Parts: sequence; C-alpha cells; structure tokens
Amino acid sequence: MEQLALVQGDDAEAWAADAVLTIVGRPQRRVEGAAKVTGRARYTHDIRLPGTLHARILRSPHPRARVRHVDASRALALAGVRGVLHRFNTPKTAFRGEETIFREEVRFVGDEVAAVAADTEAIAEAALSLIVVDYEVLPHVVDLEEAIDAASPRIDEKGNVLDADRYERGDVRKEFAAADVVVEGTYRTSTQLHNSLETHGAVAVWDGDQLTVYESTQHVFGVREGLRNALHLPLANIRVLCDHMGGGFGSKGGIGKYTIVAALFAREIGAPVRCVLDRHEENVAAGNRSATLQRVRAAGKDGRITAIAHESWSNVGQARWVADPTGPTKGLYDVPNVLAHAHRVLTNTGSLAAFRAPGYVEGTFALESAIDELADGMGVDPLALRRRHAGSQVDPVSKMRYSLKRLVDCYDIGAEEIGWSRRARGGLRGSAPGLRRGLGMASQLWSGGGTPPAYATVHLNPDGTAVVRIGTQDIGTGTRTVIAQVCAEELGIDVRGVRVEIGDTDAPYAPISAGSLTVASITPAVRLAAKDAREQLLDVASGVLEVGRAELRVEGGAVVSRGARTPIAKVFEDLENYTVIGKGSRMPNPDDIVLKTFGAHFAEVEVDPATGMVVVERVVAVHDVGRIVDPLTARSQVEGGVIQALGFALSEERVVDKPTGRVLTSGLETYKVPTVRDVPRIVVRFVDVPDTVANNVGAKGLGEPPIIPAAAAVANAVANGLGVRIRHLPLTPRRVLDALAAAS
Amino acid sequence: MPTVRPSGPGAVDVELDVNGIRTPLHVAPHTTLLDALREDVGLLGAKKVCDEGTCGACTLLVDGRAVYACMTLAVACAGRSVETVEGLARDGELHPVQEAFIAHDAFQCGFCTPGQIMSVVALLRATPSPSADEVMRAVSGNLCRCGAYPNIVEAALAAARKGKERP
Amino acid sequence: MKPFTYVRATSVAEASRMVVAGSAPLAGGTDLLGLMKGGIASPARLVDLGGIDGLNGWSRERGAGLRIGALTPLVDLETSDQLARHLPIVREALRDTATLQLRNAGTVGGNLLQRNRCWYFRDAAIQCWLKGGTQCFAKEGENEHHAIIGTARGCNRVAPSDLAPALIAHDARVTLTSTRGTRSVLLADLFTDPALHSREEHTLRRGEILTEVQVPESGLQRRGTYLKAMERKTWSFALVSVAVAARIRGGKLRDPRIVLGGVAPVPWRVEAAEAEIDGHPFSDDLARRAADLLLADAAPLAKNGYKVPLAKELVRRALARIAAA
Ligand SMILES: Cc1cc2nc3c(=O)[nH]c(=O)nc-3n(C[C@H](O)[C@H](O)[C@H](O)COP(=O)(O)OP(=O)(O)OC[C@H]3O[C@@H](n4cnc5c(N)ncnc54)[C@H](O)[C@@H]3O)c2cc1C
Ligand code: FES
Ligand code: FES
Repeated sequence: MEQLALVQGDDAEAWAADAVLTIVGRPQRRVEGAAKVTGRARYTHDIRLPGTLHARILRSPHPRARVRHVDASRALALAGVRGVLHRFNTPKTAFRGEETIFREEVRFVGDEVAAVAADTEAIAEAALSLIVVDYEVLPHVVDLEEAIDAASPRIDEKGNVLDADRYERGDVRKEFAAADVVVEGTYRTSTQLHNSLETHGAVAVWDGDQLTVYESTQHVFGVREGLRNALHLPLANIRVLCDHMGGGFGSKGGIGKYTIVAALFAREIGAPVRCVLDRHEENVAAGNRSATLQRVRAAGKDGRITAIAHESWSNVGQARWVADPTGPTKGLYDVPNVLAHAHRVLTNTGSLAAFRAPGYVEGTFALESAIDELADGMGVDPLALRRRHAGSQVDPVSKMRYSLKRLVDCYDIGAEEIGWSRRARGGLRGSAPGLRRGLGMASQLWSGGGTPPAYATVHLNPDGTAVVRIGTQDIGTGTRTVIAQVCAEELGIDVRGVRVEIGDTDAPYAPISAGSLTVASITPAVRLAAKDAREQLLDVASGVLEVGRAELRVEGGAVVSRGARTPIAKVFEDLENYTVIGKGSRMPNPDDIVLKTFGAHFAEVEVDPATGMVVVERVVAVHDVGRIVDPLTARSQVEGGVIQALGFALSEERVVDKPTGRVLTSGLETYKVPTVRDVPRIVVRFVDVPDTVANNVGAKGLGEPPIIPAAAAVANAVANGLGVRIRHLPLTPRRVLDALAAAS
Repeated sequence: MPTVRPSGPGAVDVELDVNGIRTPLHVAPHTTLLDALREDVGLLGAKKVCDEGTCGACTLLVDGRAVYACMTLAVACAGRSVETVEGLARDGELHPVQEAFIAHDAFQCGFCTPGQIMSVVALLRATPSPSADEVMRAVSGNLCRCGAYPNIVEAALAAARKGKERP
Repeated sequence: MKPFTYVRATSVAEASRMVVAGSAPLAGGTDLLGLMKGGIASPARLVDLGGIDGLNGWSRERGAGLRIGALTPLVDLETSDQLARHLPIVREALRDTATLQLRNAGTVGGNLLQRNRCWYFRDAAIQCWLKGGTQCFAKEGENEHHAIIGTARGCNRVAPSDLAPALIAHDARVTLTSTRGTRSVLLADLFTDPALHSREEHTLRRGEILTEVQVPESGLQRRGTYLKAMERKTWSFALVSVAVAARIRGGKLRDPRIVLGGVAPVPWRVEAAEAEIDGHPFSDDLARRAADLLLADAAPLAKNGYKVPLAKELVRRALARIAAA
C-alpha cells in the first residue's frame, strides 16, 4: 500500500550489461564546471539580498549550565542592533525533538543561548558581548571514557550510557570456548570534524507569508520539513533553495538552529536575514563523527573465523541517535557466530552529525584490525582469511540474497595492483636504513541501493534541448552531471543540450544527498522522465512525419527512421509552442533482495620508528558499486573519500579540554585535515558491472564506500610494517612513538 | 619633519587596482581585503572559510603574489594591483588553468577552487614548467576538503604543458 | 577585529615614534591580524612598516657577514639561490614554514616576533598565565604540543618560529631601533629567558623596531641544516625542530651549535651539549651523548614524553647530515 502511493507508471527495463550506451559510462566534464572555475557559482555564503541583516549567535561558555535569566537591554541599545532572541522571548519552535532552539539547560560549550540581528555582522558580533546571561553552572563530563565511568557526573536522568542496539546470531560464547585462537583488542577512534569549507548557514526572506530560505544543505526538502515543524506553515508557503553548496559530508542533513534564527528574525523585522556560522562555531556546534571505544574479540578454528564479538561506545554529545560502529561486523563477513552491542554515551560536547559512512568508518577500523590480529594469531595471510568469508551471495543478517556482490573480484584486482604477494609477516625493509614498510588491506560494506520516492520532470523544448527538474542537490559529487548524462542518453540528445535545475523545493521531490543514495535514487526517475518525454516526442513525430511509431527512434538530437534523420527542432517546427513534459518516478526496490555495495582498499606505508612518522605511499581502492555513470567524477569521488579517511587515520582529532569543555582544535591550524602533500598515489579501480536487479540504470552509490576501509587498511599496513599494533586513531607521531616505547 | 597622521578608525578612502580596474573604496582600516572585495566590490569568487589564514579559500594575487585576502588589510593595498579569479577569463574565454581544472575534474564542491586556481596561476607565471613537487608546494596552502588534490596537480601540470605549446 | 587607526610609516624613526602604548607595528600581518581577530591582541593603532625604504632585502659584504632586512618577505629568502649558497639552512627552515601565501606576506621580523601557538593562549576565553591569569592550563591539560624543558613555573608554551633556531645556529644578531637609539642583541636574547618569569615572550621594548638581522662572518663559516617533525607533511608548526651548524675541519665538528624548536618556551640551546661534540668527528654515539645533554633536564608533561626521543633522533640525524655533506 505504502509503495503504491509512491509510484507512478511502469519501470523501464534496466540497461543491460552489454547495452551500447554513448553517454552513460563515458567520462563527462561537470556541467557546472565553468561556473565553478570562474567564481560565478553562487553558494549560500554568496547570497546578497538588498537590505540584508546579519545574525550572530551567543553560545554557552559553559559545558553545562542552566540559563536562569537573560538581559539583552544593553545589546538592544547598541546602534544598529535590530533584535535579540533568547529562551525567554522566542516562540516555541520545534527542533529535532526539542520544543525550542534555546535550551534551558545548555549542554556543551557552544550551545545556543541567544541570537542578535544587526545591520552588519560586526555590530551583531559586538552586541553578543553585551548580553548578560545568568548561568547556574552544573557538573559536566566531556570525555567518552570518563562519561562511561560511574563516578562521573550523570548528565541525563537515564544515565550517561544508553543501550543503542544489540544483535546476536549463533552462539558466540560456545565458539570462543572451542576456538584454536582468540584475539581481543580495545580500539579507539577520535572525534572527526567535517570541516566542509562552506560553513553551515542560511539566508531567510519573507514576502508576506511566503518564506524563502537559501541554505547550504544536502536536503532542501528536509529543511522545508524542519521549517514547517518549527513555524507551522503550509508547505506551499515555504521555498528552500540551494544552488551550489560547499560540502556537507553528512552534516547538512536538515535544518539548523541558525535557519530558524534567520527565519524568525526575518519575519519579525521584515528584512532578509543571513545567519552563517564561522569556522570555530562550525567545529563546535555543527556536528562531528563520534569518538569511539570499541572492544572486539575474534575467534578462529581450522583456518576460519568462527566468532566475533564487538561492543562499542560512542561519544554522541547530546544526540538522540548513535552511528552504530558494529554494522560491518554484522554484515561484512559470512561468520556464523556474531554478537554486536552498541552503546550511546552522552557527554557535554557538541552532538554528532552523520559523517560520511557514520559508524562504518570507525567500526571497520576496529573489525578489520581485529581480523588481521586473528590472522596473525592463526598464522594465515589476512587476505586469505577474509576470502574464506567474503564469497557468500547471501546477506548473513537478513539471510536474503544480494542483487550483486563482487567483493572477491575487488580482492583479486586490489591484490594484483598493490603486489600483495610481497607482503611478509613482520613487514618489509623500507627505502632507507631504519625505515619499515608494510602492506595492509580492509574490506568495505555499505548500502547504496537508493530508494523511492524521487521524481523528475523533463521538459523537451521545441529546439530539441531539454530541462530536467528535480529537487536534489549537488554537494560536489557531480549530481548535476550524472542527471544530464542519464537524461541525454535516454532522450537521445547531446549532454550540452540538457540543463539541470536542482536545489529547489518547488521542483519534484528528491531524497537527501546522503547515505550514498543519490545516484541510485534519482537517476532511475530521471531516466523514466526522459523516456516519457522521448515517447511523447515519438508520438508527435509519428504524426508529423507520417511514419509508423514503431519505426522511429531518437538519436543524436534527431528522429531517425529508415535512414532518414529529422532534427527534433524540425519535428516541432510547425507545432509552435507544443511542449513535451516527461514525468518519471523512482520505482520501489525489488522485494526479497538486498542491495549493498562492496569494496576493498589496499595500502602500502612506510614508517619511521625513530620519529613516529607514517607515510602512506599508495592506496589501491577497488569498488563494486554497479554501473559507473561518469568514470571521471567517480574517480574523483573515490580519491576524495580516501583522502578524508587518511585524515581520520593519521592527523585529524578534536581535542577538548576536560575542565572547561572547550574545543581546543576548533580552527584549521590545530585541526589538521590533509594537505595536497599528504596525499599518496591513489589507484582507483571499479568492478563496473551494472546491477540490473537494483534499478533501471544499474548504478549504486559511491559517496561513502571510499571513506570506509582506507583507515583500517592503513592501520593494518602500519601494524604489518612496525610489528606493533596501534589501536588508537589517528596514528600521529606521538601515538606511534608512545606505542613503540610501551612495546619495548 | 612632516609627520604622517593615523587614519581611521572610521572609513577612509583607498584606491586599489582590481583586475585592472581602478577601484576606489571607502572602508575602515580594520576591513580585510577579503571583506572589501566581497562586501564592497561585490566580487564573491574568493571565499571566506576560516578568516584567519588557515585554509587558502581566499587566495588572490596582490602585486602578482598569492596571499590570503583574509589576512591582508584593504588599506595596506592602496595603489597595489589585486587579481581575483573573476579577472582571469578574457572575452568569455577561460584561462588555460580554468580550462584544465574542468578537463581534469579538479574540484568537487568547488568552494576551494577560486583559491586553488589563483595559486596555480601565480605559480605558472613564475615557473612555466613546474614539476609535480613544485605544483604541490604551490598549492599546499590551499585546503580542499573534498580531496580533489590529485586532479588539481594534474590540472596544473596540464595547463603548464598547454601553455608551452602556445606560441 | 576591533577597529583601530592605521598609519603607514615612511621611516624607522617615524615608526618608532608612532608605536606608542597600545600600538603595534604591522609587517605582513599574518600573525598580528590572527591575534586581533581571535581577540588576543587589540591594538588601538597599527603602524604599517611596509612603506619604509631599506628594510627589504638582504646583502652580503665580504668580511662583514650577511644582513637581512626585517621587512624582507620570507619567500624572498627561501627562493634565493644566492642566499642558499651562503646560508642554506634558511631555505631548509622556510620550505615548510606555514604556506607559500603566508611566506609571501610574512616577513623576517614578524616571523621572529610571532607569538606562540599554545591552544589555551590562542583561545580568548581562557585567561591563562601568559595573558595575566594565574595558571597554565596546559600543565595538567591537553599538553601534547607543549614544552618538555626550560619551563619556568608560569608557562609551558613552545617557541614557534622555524627561522629563529636556524638563525641562532649561525649566531645571528638583530638590530633594534627606537627613538632612544639603536642596539644590537643576539637573536637568542630576543626571546625572554623563561627563568625571568616574565609575561612577555620577547625582549623588544616599546617603540623598538626590528630593522635587521645580521649573521656574522664566523656564523657563515658553519655548515648548517634544519629538520622539522610535523603532524602532517606541511603547514604545521613543529612538534620538534632542530637546527645544527658547525664548521667541519678534517672531519671534525668545530664550534657547533644545536638549537631546538618546539620543545621549550624559547629556542633551546645547551652549551654543554655543544662542548661535548666540539672537536670530535661525528659518530652516532657522539650525537647521542650531545642529545642526552641537551635534554638532560627534560621534564615532560603527561602527553608530550614522545618529544624527548623525537628530539634526540632529529639531533642525531641533523648532525649526521652536516658531517656527511
Ligand atoms: C596557519 C599558520 C601557520 C603557520 N605556520 C608556521 C610555521 O610552521 N613556522 C613558522 O615559523 N611560522 C608559522 N606561522 C607564522 C608565520 O610565519 C608568521 O605569522 C609570519 O612570519 C609573521 O610575519 P608577519 O610579517 O606577517 O608579522 P606580523 O603579523 O605583521 O607581526 C608579528 C608580530 O611582530 C611585530 N613586528 C613585526 N615586524 C616587526 C618589526 N620589524 N619590528 C617590530 N615589531 C615587528 C608585530 O607587531 C607583531 O606583534 C604560521 C602562521 C599561520 C597563520
Ligand atoms: S579564509 Fe583566508 S585563509 Fe581561510
Ligand atoms: S572542491 Fe570542495 S573543498 Fe575543494
């Protein structure tokens, strides 16, 4: 019933593996390239509406406190200040399960306390320091392991440690007892900060009761929904726009408090209001990848993995959800006995937000480290051990078949490319005396099959060009380009003849650009819309040309029949403004079939045991994500994912001062994302077999897969080279030297 | 001895040469070149990402040298030449570096791109045939969170090769 | 950034006169503007030194050593092949100093006078000892980047400049000029001795303009090298850096200097360590003895013990490098 409501029309047959496609599957330059290289591309930061006011947010200086009183009179008296919002004067505005955007109990340094709107950003900033807040300071805890400790302050009545998810198959306990080898390790990962270059922000403007919001977001419809909940407006009165956006990596999944602040001020004052975070706010209050503590036990017998137990604790700040790190443990390998138990730990720090494969990056590090430790313990090659559990075509969790799984192919391609046969226990000699060299690998499991609903329209213009409209967004992944490709392919016109209109809630609905679901969700709808348009065109052409409909096809911008080519423009010539509007919607995924993506990364590193320096020399990234629509942007996507993973593995770490709760690494000088010189040679390979069961394009998502296994592969390579395993990311010189000192 | 007198703290007049155009500005001394360009001149190509010299998104050229506009005072640029990404294309034709960035997919979200391009442009003027290492040193002050780095290096090298082919 | 008045000085004398209480000289601005934006400094007047003639560039006169104008952009030193022949250590030190954009704008004087990068110091909301408070938050806090040696009770910051250790290893001096006159001090003495328990990082007096760095002829006779350990390949302050320089005569190290960055509140030297190797040919063992002496008083905090072996290793490598060159 539910699906009936979502779907309109029939699906098209999937493009077969051997279908001859002229646009899809060939490298295509980004259609918005010229706008981006000239500086013409407009981002939310660049929206300049006449008369715009600027809002800044007052943030809690305390990790935990009760806001007893706010005195804004001095701020309001400052020339140029146009308004102040705080918990005692702001209407109820629902926000992510809470009633208001200004909490009574602020829960981390950076929590929103008040907001000022002023003629300039500088005045608004100056006014913040004039707001007097009476805080009752409460006991706090910011560190994950301290929060777990029962002796620490309880920051929630239910306690700091909350059960998130427990899963079991088989009998782990029995197998541990019966095993030949059991390994056990405690793994730690640090909080990673997204650091999208464009910070979160919104510009709101009202025209009567019509609200328009420009927001840097991965989901315009999500922002619209958030505004509806907060402001109780009919959806028709809200329009959310996001033309270009400067990165999100999961953190821009919906409305922010700044959005509501901008909308409220704009309504109250009657002028456009811009509220954009600065870099430090971004790194304190706009989300992160949770730090984790993970305990993994793995058992082996007769050359096989017999049981894995994985327990995790994630520092979620104040969030109501957890990015479960045990996902890969449950589903990656065909292992009969698995116990997985995830905990959500509350602390007085900024809350997590989805961060590119949330949970899976952290969990894969722990799991794949443990698999290597087990292989070492069993005296088998770690890749060989994985192979024994990677071939199954049945999902071990649901017991349903995969639509397509080529993980073993990924192993073959990657092992060949990196030269896995060189790997030796205890590592290899490095390029200079004293240096050690290691090889490591890890596997990737993720979803990426996409989902309905998603809708698109294709307007075929009388001159044979087309406009695709779909309310998705291009977060840098190349969405505009793949839409143009799929549309042009199906319609039979040139890519340059397709204009793609996205980032607008007045366009047909499309899902969030996250979870690697964009391509697999929207391109099938775009294809159907283009097909619909093509069929209408053929109907018309059949009449105009007086040729049987069945004998016609569209090719290269012309209607072709028995050798005769009639340009589309010619077909429409005498029909004046006859317009073809094709519609398409994303069909449901097949029943009883599991859609997943797979991959494997192989890393070669050189480690300097005397200085603790880790140099990643090469990463081979192999992915099995169905059809590759644009090999050019797909390769970029993989390289970008690997590079972000390398930051997580080697240098990125949020540091929080325990007594004050302040983030000490909120700037980009102290929070170290990779520079161009930190990048190794990255070899990208795809299995590139279309998943014809998944959807009519045969493509699956590629946004997250490439960030998942790289850190684990690097950690395994470092352990291989050094002969000492470091179970705490990032592998900074400090951690390496400390680990070596402890080991000797 | 004549003594210069301090100006400000209110707005003062300065004139810059921006992309070859004499551009009079009326800005307070504490206005950065980045804010002056974005807010007063309306050139939005250079981005404000950190506003403290830690990212490179605001990179542009002052007297031909790549600098961070967020760490430069507009008043200190009086009479100097400022080049931004908007000034690169001539008569609707993209600069070879811009072309190469598109051809080699040297960006994803594009937010770091104007800064990256300005760094490469400055490099190629001084070093028309750079090595990959020289390219990396020239753009290592430009962070790209999307990780377009390998393609940025390729694009710069390709633009250099193209530049050599031309008469 | 708080509003301020701005003046572009045309001479050192004028600049010195203009730098009254509450004013700051402005060179490239790459450190000063950061401090001002962060609310750590809020001068009411900036005196731009950029318009002063004669402070930009370097020169070498036979017998008279090397002179470097304080307003010389770092990049000009880094890219000069000629300078690299006289004093190769400067290029080595500058190659991974900040970024090209910052070296284009940043100057020699500004680099030597930049303030430290302790993350507590740089957070305006934290009133640490150096900013007039009562305690050093790093001592019991997040101190992985902090000092392991030479700290007085007050402050566990580390000297951030890459150029300073390199120049000190060649016995550089600086010229400081004010309306009261001109003095020349050892560059090493530009940094406030931590034992004095002063809340000033530099010994520059109000109104003094750093006009020039000189490397004496004897300093130029030394062969030097600079090594820097970072948390990523570039654009990072040193976890530990080391500048070494010595004359090599008959395979022996003569009149050596070993200067560490990133380990102490000031560029760190220990004469006994230098004496230990003076007159000896390089050997790993000799280098290790020197490094041990250099760090004999090291008292790491909870999270920065790794700096001790790291510093020792860098000293060994740097000495090996100059001995082999
Ligand atoms: C992100 C980042 C990373 C960095 N990484 C490094 C690094 O790895 N290694 C490193 O060594 N440095 C590093 N730096 C610091 C950088 O090198 C310095 O900011 C720069 O050298 C300062 O030079 P400036 O001319 O811009 O100084 P300014 O900012 O103009 O001045 C700095 C200080 O010196 C005073 N001053 C300047 N010149 C004079 C003078 N002639 N006489 C008297 N007073 C003067 C100013 O009043 C001010 O107090 C980094 C900086 C940033 C922002
Ligand atoms: S905005 Fe200027 S360097 Fe980041
Ligand atoms: S392209 Fe997104 S930050 Fe570089």
